[in-house]
Amino acid sequence: MDFAIEDSPEQTEFRKEVRAFLETAVPPGITHTVDAANQPREQYELRRDLGRKLGAKGWLYPHMPKEYGGSDMSSDEVMILNDELTRIGLALPPYYDSGGRMGGPSILVWGTEEQKKRLLTPIFRGEVRTWQLLSEPGAGSDLAGIKTTAIRDGDHYVVNGQKMWVGSAHGAERSWMIVVTDPKGERHKNLSWIMVDMSLPGITVTPMETLATGGEGGAGGGCKNTVFFDNVRIPAENLVGGENNGWKVATTHLEVEHGGTGRLQDRRVIGEFIDYCREKHNGFAIADDPDAREQIAEMFIEGEVMRLFAVRNHWLSHTNQPRSYEGAQYSLRRKLGSLDISERMLRIAGPYALTTDERWAPLQGAIEYFQRDGITSLHPGATTDIQKVIMARRMGTGGREREQAGKLR
Amino acid sequence: MDLSLNETQKLIQDATKDFVRGACSREILVKLDRNKNVDVMATYWKQMSEMGWTGMAIPEQYGGSGNSLLDVAVLFEELGTGPVPGPLFSSAVLCARILLETGSEAQKKALLPDIASGKRVFALAFTEVQYGWSEDSIRMKAKKEGADYVLSGTKLFVDDAEYASDLLVVAGIEGGAGVSLFRVDAKAKGVSIRKLEGFMTAKSEVIFDNVKVSGSDLVGAAGGAWAGLDKGMLAAIPVLCAYKVGGCKKVFDISIAYAGERKQFGQVIGRFSRVQDHLINLVNHLDAARWTTYEALWKLDSGQDAASSVHIAKAVSSESYLNACDYGHEVHAGIGVVREYGLTLYTKMSRSLYHSLGAPKYHRKRLEKELKLVA
Ligand SMILES: Cc1cc2nc3c(=O)[nH]c(=O)nc-3n(C[C@H](O)[C@H](O)[C@H](O)COP(=O)(O)OP(=O)(O)OC[C@H]3O[C@@H](n4cnc5c(N)ncnc54)[C@H](O)[C@@H]3O)c2cc1C
Repeated sequence: MDFAIEDSPEQTEFRKEVRAFLETAVPPGITHTVDAANQPREQYELRRDLGRKLGAKGWLYPHMPKEYGGSDMSSDEVMILNDELTRIGLALPPYYDSGGRMGGPSILVWGTEEQKKRLLTPIFRGEVRTWQLLSEPGAGSDLAGIKTTAIRDGDHYVVNGQKMWVGSAHGAERSWMIVVTDPKGERHKNLSWIMVDMSLPGITVTPMETLATGGEGGAGGGCKNTVFFDNVRIPAENLVGGENNGWKVATTHLEVEHGGTGRLQDRRVIGEFIDYCREKHNGFAIADDPDAREQIAEMFIEGEVMRLFAVRNHWLSHTNQPRSYEGAQYSLRRKLGSLDISERMLRIAGPYALTTDERWAPLQGAIEYFQRDGITSLHPGATTDIQKVIMARRMGTGGREREQAGKLR
Repeated sequence: MDLSLNETQKLIQDATKDFVRGACSREILVKLDRNKNVDVMATYWKQMSEMGWTGMAIPEQYGGSGNSLLDVAVLFEELGTGPVPGPLFSSAVLCARILLETGSEAQKKALLPDIASGKRVFALAFTEVQYGWSEDSIRMKAKKEGADYVLSGTKLFVDDAEYASDLLVVAGIEGGAGVSLFRVDAKAKGVSIRKLEGFMTAKSEVIFDNVKVSGSDLVGAAGGAWAGLDKGMLAAIPVLCAYKVGGCKKVFDISIAYAGERKQFGQVIGRFSRVQDHLINLVNHLDAARWTTYEALWKLDSGQDAASSVHIAKAVSSESYLNACDYGHEVHAGIGVVREYGLTLYTKMSRSLYHSLGAPKYHRKRLEKELKLVA
C-alpha cells in the first residue's frame, strides 16, 4: 500500500509543466476567493477564460477520453493537476459546471458516438458551461416524482414545467436535465435526460437568495435559480440514453454527485484556519489557548477522515474498481463533518467566525462563509438521510440483495 | 411542586404572542434581516415601551413594574420565537440589573426610570479584541484625571451598541486593580460605534478615543465593580436563555408542521423514521434548554444560590439553540436555506448569541469552581 502521490521523473516534469502553465494562464484576482455567491461577473468571465485555456490542453476534464476533449489522464496525473490548482485556491473546473461534472460521465456511458462528439466536446473544452436540472418544488429526495414533461412532437420535444435549485449566478449556455417523457408511464420507466440550449425561447430564469451555495465555493457556485419552461422546443437528437431510460442514466449522474468519484480539492479552509490560529492576529494567537488547541486537533482529525474517504473514492473510480456504499459514505461524512468543523471553528474563534468585517474577519470572511455553507451543504445532491438509505441498500442490510453502484464508465 | 405558569405569566405570554404575530411577523423580520435600510427601533421600540416591557425587570421605586425574573423570561421566550431583534434585553434586563447591583442611589434614580420608559437605551460594552467574559478578559484601562476619567481602547462584538443612547463600559483604572464600570454617552466625543456585518445580529465595534467621563459617571466603586457586575449578569443570563428557548421552540414548531405537510415518495416526510430522529433530537434540545433555564429562574426569584444553575442553563441553551437549528435544517432540507422562508433567522440568531454573556466553555469552567473541582 502506498498513499504517497509519488512523482515519477515524468510526473515531476508534468508538475513543472502544470505549474509553469498556471503561472501564465491564471490571471490575478481569481484565486482564493471567499464567497462564491458574490462573485462579480468580471471574475466569472476570467474563470471561463481560464477554463477555455485548460480545455484547449485537455486539462479541464483531464480523466476524460482524448477524442472528446479530455486527456485520458491517469489518476496520479489528475492528482497532480488538482494539487497545483488547490495550491492557488482554484478547483477543476474553475467555475460552477455541475452539468458538465455530472452530465459528462452520464453522456459518456449512455450517449451514442455522435452525441458524445457533439455534446461532450464543447463541455470538456470549456466552450460551454452547463447546469444540472433535476429537482422541482414537489420533487427533491423523490427525484422519480418530477413533473416537468417533454413530449415528442416531430423532430422535437416540447418541454413544460419548473425546475428549482438551479445553477449559479451569471447564467449558462446549456442545461442537462431530467424530464418526464411518458406522463402515463410506470414510475422509473417514464423519464429521460435531455441537453437544453439555454438561449431557446420559453425559458425564464429567476434567482433566489439562499444562505450559501453549498460546498461549491471553490468552483464558484453563485446563487440558485428557479427555471420555468413554457413550450420550449428541443431537438430530439439531444435526448441521451434512450426515451424513458432516464432512471438508468440517473444512476451514473447521481453516483458522481454522491461522491463516487471522490474529490481531491477538499475544504482548504481547514488548513487555512489552522494557519490563522497559529499566527498572531490583533496581538494574540488563538493557539495560545490550550482548550482551543484541543478543539483544533479534533477538527483536524475530522477533516482528515473526510479527506481519506475522498482519496479512497478517487482511487477506486479512477482505477475502475468495484464500488458499493463508498460514494454515499463520503458524501454523508463530508456533509456532517463540514457542519461539525464549522461549529468547532465558531467555538474556537468566537464571534470572529461570524463576521465579514474587513478589519476583523479571519481569512477575509472565509470562516463566516463556511458557517453558512456548512449548513447549506447538508442538502445538495441528496440529504444525509438519503445517503444513509443508499448506504443501507448497497450494504444489503437485513439480508436484502445488494444494490449496485452506478456505472461510471 | 408546580411547574406551571401563573395567571400573570399567562397574560404576558398571550400579549407577547399577539405582538410577535402582528408587529413581528416572519415577513417583517425577514425584511429587517435582509434590508439594511429598515430600522429595527423605528419598527417597534415605541410599541414595546408602551406595553411596559422596558420596565418589567426594574423595581417599582425606580419607575418599573418590579416583575419577577420568571415573568420577564416568559416575555423573552415569546420574543425569541420571532426572533424579535433589538436592544430590549441589553438595555432593560442586562444593564438594568447591573445598574441595580452596582449603582449609587442617585444613579439608580437618575437612570433606571429612563430605561423603564424606553427613553434611554443601554448596551454593555464588555468584550474586547481578545474576546472573553471573565474578569481578566478586561484589558482596557481608564486614566484618572482629577475627579474625571479618560477612556481609550476598543470594545468588540458589543451586542446592541448600534441602538444605544448610553454605554456601560467595563474597564480597569490605570495603576489600580480590579474592574470598574463607567456610564458613557454613546454620542460623546471620541466614541465611535460601527456595526459589524456577517452571519450575526447587532454586534458592533466600539472605539473610545480619549473619551472624557465625569467622576459622577463611575458606577460602583473604583476597581470594585466585578461582584455587582457578575451578579447582575448572572441574573440576566437566564432571561437570555429563555429567548433561546423560544427560538428552539419555534424551530421545533415550524419543523414538525413541515414534516406533517411535505410529501415525498407519496407520503408525508414525518413518517420516515430518519426524519423522526431529527425531530426527536430537536425536541430533546428544546426541553433541555427549557428546564435548565426555568429552574435557574426559580432559584434566582426565590433568593437561593443560583450560580450553578445559571451556568448550566447558559451552557445548555447555547448548545441547544445551535443544534436545534441544525436539526430543523435537516428536516426542511432545501427550502430551509431559502432566506425568504425564515428558518435561517433562527440559525443566524443561534450563532450570534452563542458567545454572548459567555460561551458554554466559559460557563463549564465556572461550574468547575462551583463543583469545587478547582479552587
Ligand atoms: C444549495 C443547494 C444547491 C442545490 N443544487 C441543486 C442543483 O444544482 N440541481 C438540482 O437539481 N437540485 C439541487 N438542489 C436540490 C437538492 O438536490 C434537494 O434540496 C435535495 O435533494 C433534497 O430535496 P428537498 O429539498 O426537496 O427535500 P425533501 O426531499 O422534501 O426532504 C425533506 C426531508 O425529508 C427527508 N426524506 C425525504 N425522503 C426520505 C426518505 N425516503 N427516507 C428518509 N428521509 C427522507 C429528507 O432527508 C429531509 O430531511 C440543491 C439544493 C440546495 C439547498
